[in-house]
Amino acid sequence: MTFHDAAARDFPAFSTDACIKCNVCNTVCPVSRVTDEFPGPKYVGPQAQRFRGPGEGSDAPDHSVDLCSGCGICTRACPAGVLIAETNNRARAGIVEERGSSLRNRLISDTDLLIRLGTPVAPLANIGLKNRLARWFGEKTLGVHRRGPLAPFSRRTFRAWWKREKRPTALEAGSDPSRTVVYFHGCAVNGFEPDLGRDAVEILERNGLTVIVPPQECCGLPFISNGLYPRAREKARRNLESLAQYARAGYRIVGTSTSCTHALKAEYREMLDLADDDATAVADATWDICELLVDLHDRGELDTGFAPIAESIPYHPPCQLKSHGIGLPAMDLFALVPGLRAVDSDHDCCGAAGTYGLKAERWQIAQDVGAPLFAKVRAAKAAGASRAACDSETCRWQIEQSSGVPTVHPVSILAESYRRADEAASEPRRRLV
Amino acid sequence: MPRADVVVIGAGLSGLACAAELAGSGASVFLAAKGMASTHWTHGGLDVAAPDGASTSRDGIARLAGSAGHPYARMSDHVADAVAAHRARLDGTAVAMVGDLDMPLAPIPTALGALRPAAILPMGQGAAVGPWEGQGLLLLGIGHFRDSWVDYAARNLTAGAWPGGPAEIRAVTADLPGLDARNNLNARTLAVLFDDPAWRARALAAMAAVVPPGAWRIGVPAVLGLEAHAEIHAHAQEVLGGAVFEMPSLPPSVPGVRLFDELRRRITAAGGRIQVGFDVVEVERDGRRVRAIHTEAASRTLRLAADTFVLATGGIAGEGIRAHRGRRLEERVFGLPVTAPNDSEWFSDDPMQPHPIESLGIDVDDHLRPIDPTGQPVLENVRVIGSSLAGMRYLEQRCGDGVAITSAHVVARSLAARSAAA
Ligand SMILES: Cc1cc2nc3c(=O)[nH]c(=O)nc-3n(C[C@H](O)[C@H](O)[C@H](O)COP(=O)(O)OP(=O)(O)OC[C@H]3O[C@@H](n4cnc5c(N)ncnc54)[C@H](O)[C@@H]3O)c2cc1C
Repeated sequence: MTFHDAAARDFPAFSTDACIKCNVCNTVCPVSRVTDEFPGPKYVGPQAQRFRGPGEGSDAPDHSVDLCSGCGICTRACPAGVLIAETNNRARAGIVEERGSSLRNRLISDTDLLIRLGTPVAPLANIGLKNRLARWFGEKTLGVHRRGPLAPFSRRTFRAWWKREKRPTALEAGSDPSRTVVYFHGCAVNGFEPDLGRDAVEILERNGLTVIVPPQECCGLPFISNGLYPRAREKARRNLESLAQYARAGYRIVGTSTSCTHALKAEYREMLDLADDDATAVADATWDICELLVDLHDRGELDTGFAPIAESIPYHPPCQLKSHGIGLPAMDLFALVPGLRAVDSDHDCCGAAGTYGLKAERWQIAQDVGAPLFAKVRAAKAAGASRAACDSETCRWQIEQSSGVPTVHPVSILAESYRRADEAASEPRRRLV
Repeated sequence: MPRADVVVIGAGLSGLACAAELAGSGASVFLAAKGMASTHWTHGGLDVAAPDGASTSRDGIARLAGSAGHPYARMSDHVADAVAAHRARLDGTAVAMVGDLDMPLAPIPTALGALRPAAILPMGQGAAVGPWEGQGLLLLGIGHFRDSWVDYAARNLTAGAWPGGPAEIRAVTADLPGLDARNNLNARTLAVLFDDPAWRARALAAMAAVVPPGAWRIGVPAVLGLEAHAEIHAHAQEVLGGAVFEMPSLPPSVPGVRLFDELRRRITAAGGRIQVGFDVVEVERDGRRVRAIHTEAASRTLRLAADTFVLATGGIAGEGIRAHRGRRLEERVFGLPVTAPNDSEWFSDDPMQPHPIESLGIDVDDHLRPIDPTGQPVLENVRVIGSSLAGMRYLEQRCGDGVAITSAHVVARSLAARSAAA
């Protein structure tokens, strides 16, 4: 291993030496805001890190780091550049490596498996998800909270639909990297929200981009958040194997989940130590869909024929989006839709943090973290909003379930606006169904 | 990213104040900062000028303006306006300020029992200022809260000289409901508890129970709520039966967090954007003009183009300026020339005395544009504000907040006037 590799590998832990103990992170942590069980990022991060051995889990002073939801707000607030959340995540992985993980955590992290099992029996599985007795049983046996935000399985996966429609899964001869994009749908679109995938494809195609969907798996983020790095690496390696060729050839990889795209951009390298050329090429080629649409707009290439949507919609920029460091591209896009007023939730975190809010012992924390947000969304509905918007799936499910207000991805609103424009022009395009 | 009129770099007091004023005047503003800073570290008050010997802030400004190279030497005419604008912005909020430039600088007690001169304070700290007129000072600590040492503070205050101070100084500690069972208490978690009306009522009753008979002004740790501070402060005075003031303690500063939150809300409510968490890593130039800056991101950088760039990245503490081996100083965003005392004169021998190096910073012209040693602007569309400016020693002169809001105001007003003219 070269020095550079060693430095890269240990970077999150090294960065804790820059901590000046100013406590800024402790003022922004949403988890320590609501529970006394979590000492706060400073203590479980830079402070505890001094006691951790090379394995990072061993010799840890205690295991309260497992209460960290991984939202990353501390890292962004830190004036000294300490990678606090990343350090915590690695520390959790160290503990898991040493002590193993629960069946529950291994199961809820394995979204591809859940989709494989759930989709063929979607109607039945969805009855189960709604059934109180079944959910009570799930809580008692597995530790998945009976009211944890779970989305119903789609009857057909996005990939199955793509295949049925005989849409491209690889480049066609003469493809142009500037006019073709690779869609990374993630497990949420594949198994739970295929309509969002169709909205995204509709918008990309409308703007002159050919969309291909090569083989891919869950990005692995649920495994990363649960400290199951070896499983996450398996997912990551297979995704890199499939995607790197496109990235190297100059094609952009675009995703509708700010969590998956952040995993491709950052976590593969920062947490899983996959710092090779493939990982770098894929990270550099990956775009959040709103980020990409704003880029098209900056170049004057975005179709701005948006029909009015006269509504004021609460918009919650999720934590993962903020970790991208790309501003708030959805807000820029909403501003292009006449009549539409998007109101930034101005709230730190919805609480869900991927699988965190599902866990029986974390559910209440997640609810308390998101409570002010849910109240704002409910108030917006009372004032006439028909829905809320958010870029990340588990956050959407959490907001929707806890506020009772339907919550959609920003591009679904854009797709609706385009469709209305077509209807007004009375030449409806074919809607992807 | 739509182009902004102004990109402000830095989320300390100066950057926040400048962005709030610009956004309020209709400019499109993007504030980008690596992290949070001075608001969360300091007392949340407004130290305008209190060098040794100054009787009022206005007197302090005049004294500092008289020393060549001090930021007030250029801006002293604008301080009063800037303070007025800042106060107007905060009026009606929980961080509204009391006091003014002509009030005598009064010694107020710190959390460790020292005295510092102050005049303009957030409403919740206002009662710390005399005259004491025979009243006693009661320091009311909170049991199990490790960042408050009222006995220690009372001992120090009693031992030291305090001309015109309280008739008597005493310390008491109240055990508040449930705190003995808590593992983790810091100023922020306590403030969150105070925001809960039910807990607060019980807590204030427990605090009232330890107040001895007598005429007291009561100093409490600065933890009286984040969201509901104004209401809690009023409630505390009612229940404790006297004037109550908050005493900021170790970071995190709850009064500073309130100030940060209020200014942040001002900026976004006026349509401004804030992104905290990413360093500026690249600059696009066109001769003496900056076209765009880039901030660090998970993969490709974020490009922020604007007409004007305001550098509000602080000095050494804010990490806007770094000192490298060999005493090389680096301004980290634009690589501007840094002015500092000669190598041999950086530090004084006594660690607790002022150190000359504190005065390091960027030299500017009357428009607060950075200049080179010959006085020529280095970059025409860059303005420098706050503690990045050369020539002050804010710890000793107690002028950091005043310089921050005055430089922010000068720049915001001139840019607003320019865009109105355009
Ligand atoms: C511990 C401490 C105590 C103080 N006490 C007093 C006092 O009692 N009285 C007094 O008058 N003054 C005091 N001051 C000074 C006063 O707080 C500041 O002068 C004033 O608030 C102005 O700060 P600022 O906005 O210029 O910079 P800061 O608050 O330092 O903010 C700098 C900002 O710039 C950001 N930044 C830095 N580099 C980059 C980069 N490359 N890219 C992007 N962002 C960047 C930082 O993350 C931060 O947001 C104190 C300061 C400190 C640090």
